[in-house]
Amino acid sequence: MTNDSTQQKVYSVSEITRSIKRLLEGRPDLNNIWVKGEIFNLTFHSSGHIYFSLRDDDAVITAVFFRYANRSLDFKPREGMTVHALGSITVYEKRGSYQINVSLLRPEGVGDLQRRIELLKQKLAKEGIFDPARKRPLPFLPRRLGIATSPTGAAVRDIIKVALRRFPNIQLVIAPAVVQGADAPVSIARAIEELNRPEHDIDCIIAGRGGGSFEDLMPFNEEIVVRAFYNSRVPVISAVGHQVDHPLCDDAADLAAPTPSAAAELVVPEKKELADEVDYYRLRINNSIQSLLGRHGDRIEAVTRLRIFRDPYEIVNRKEMQLADLANKMLISLKDAVASHKNALQRIPDLRMLIEKLIMSRKHAFLMAVRALEQLSPLGVMQRGYAIVLDEAERVIRSIANTGIGRTISVVLSDGSLECNVNSIQTGGYDGKEKDGKKHS
Amino acid sequence: MEKKKTAKNTPDKQAVMNFEKALKELEEIANSLEEGELSLDESIRQFEKGMQLSKFCRLKLDEAERKIEILQKGEGDRTIRKQVDVDSESGEIANDDDMQGSLL
Repeated sequence: MTNDSTQQKVYSVSEITRSIKRLLEGRPDLNNIWVKGEIFNLTFHSSGHIYFSLRDDDAVITAVFFRYANRSLDFKPREGMTVHALGSITVYEKRGSYQINVSLLRPEGVGDLQRRIELLKQKLAKEGIFDPARKRPLPFLPRRLGIATSPTGAAVRDIIKVALRRFPNIQLVIAPAVVQGADAPVSIARAIEELNRPEHDIDCIIAGRGGGSFEDLMPFNEEIVVRAFYNSRVPVISAVGHQVDHPLCDDAADLAAPTPSAAAELVVPEKKELADEVDYYRLRINNSIQSLLGRHGDRIEAVTRLRIFRDPYEIVNRKEMQLADLANKMLISLKDAVASHKNALQRIPDLRMLIEKLIMSRKHAFLMAVRALEQLSPLGVMQRGYAIVLDEAERVIRSIANTGIGRTISVVLSDGSLECNVNSIQTGGYDGKEKDGKKHS
Repeated sequence: MEKKKTAKNTPDKQAVMNFEKALKELEEIANSLEEGELSLDESIRQFEKGMQLSKFCRLKLDEAERKIEILQKGEGDRTIRKQVDVDSESGEIANDDDMQGSLL
């Protein structure tokens, strides 16, 4: 061992620094490790890099949090804050210093919170609260949309803006809630419950808030909030702005959206699109029927050429004419019948004349017969001078044998009779010569 | 699943639900008419049905009247709905001192 620098190897600063660098940066126990400490000398550089130191009671380490890495930062680091930093030890040769190059920074306690969330998640999962099978479809056309969030935050503005842009005549019901701090869990749960009341007539609920730090979003990991999502009878969309870890309520909701405006996009349909779709189908249906009618054109034309279509009154008119015809014929035949009966009636007086004539002729014949008869009557003969001779019994004596001498006979003349006694009887007939007052007796 | 049924189905709500069905049916009618397999009579029947459905859909889209309401704590357990104006460009609710806070 000697102190003579001329006899020993001399390293440059760069060489020795490179050695140190290799040594430190090559060690696995200094790579990707969590370091806990209190922040001090905090600087937000205009370049976007964040510089600070971490210390505990006995030691200090400088830290660099480059812009590309700190973009995922979900809280604002402050002086004096105790944090957990994930990073690797690197050596900055120009300054001869080592530091921790941070890739992730979390406030202390977050680790505990995450463990708590993990336990809650396991417990609720056992109950089936995150069962994907129980997720309901969102209404196709929500008419009244419920919004559970802060009435003054960016989330409510984003939802209103997107909803009205997509469906200008939608109805929105805002249930104001505290979304940050100790009151937030109960307030959010209460807002969801309220929107479920039938009198509000809500089709779908969006519940959430805009992005924030892990702590800001913590209420949406609370059991009471997760259960409120699960118990909602109205389909509910979780709309919590987040970049890294999604909140537990996402798993209990019917649908999870990464931001409030995304939730509105998902549930509110674009009215114009729907109207266009309806019109599009309408047009297609119209075109189809037009071309179909064109194809059937000839047949249809043939049909429409039928007289019934051209002049529907034609048939009526024809029937009317037939009816008039029949009526006419009926009238005529009725007239004929009447006329013929009338003629028959008119012929009746002739008949009477005929009868009268007949009677007259019969009467005449009768009179003639009577006259003839009168000529033949014995009275007539007697007027001409003949008499009838009767015996006592008033019997006509036709022969001399019918009487005897001494018997009484009656001689009947035309104007009376004579009682006579037979004095004598002579035989021989009458010669027809009339002797005055001479009787054959 | 059973425990999470919608609170009630008013006839109006039922009708809104039917928009989707009507649109679907409209699409089916458009397709079947384009296939041209239907008889003339059936085609005309379908055409008329399609026209009715499209009218129904347009009616449903225009049915609701834009309304923005905010719930407020009323007396006791009651909440009241209050109508508010919003700027549809920014989504900003017209400022009203009452509207601050929550239902708690």
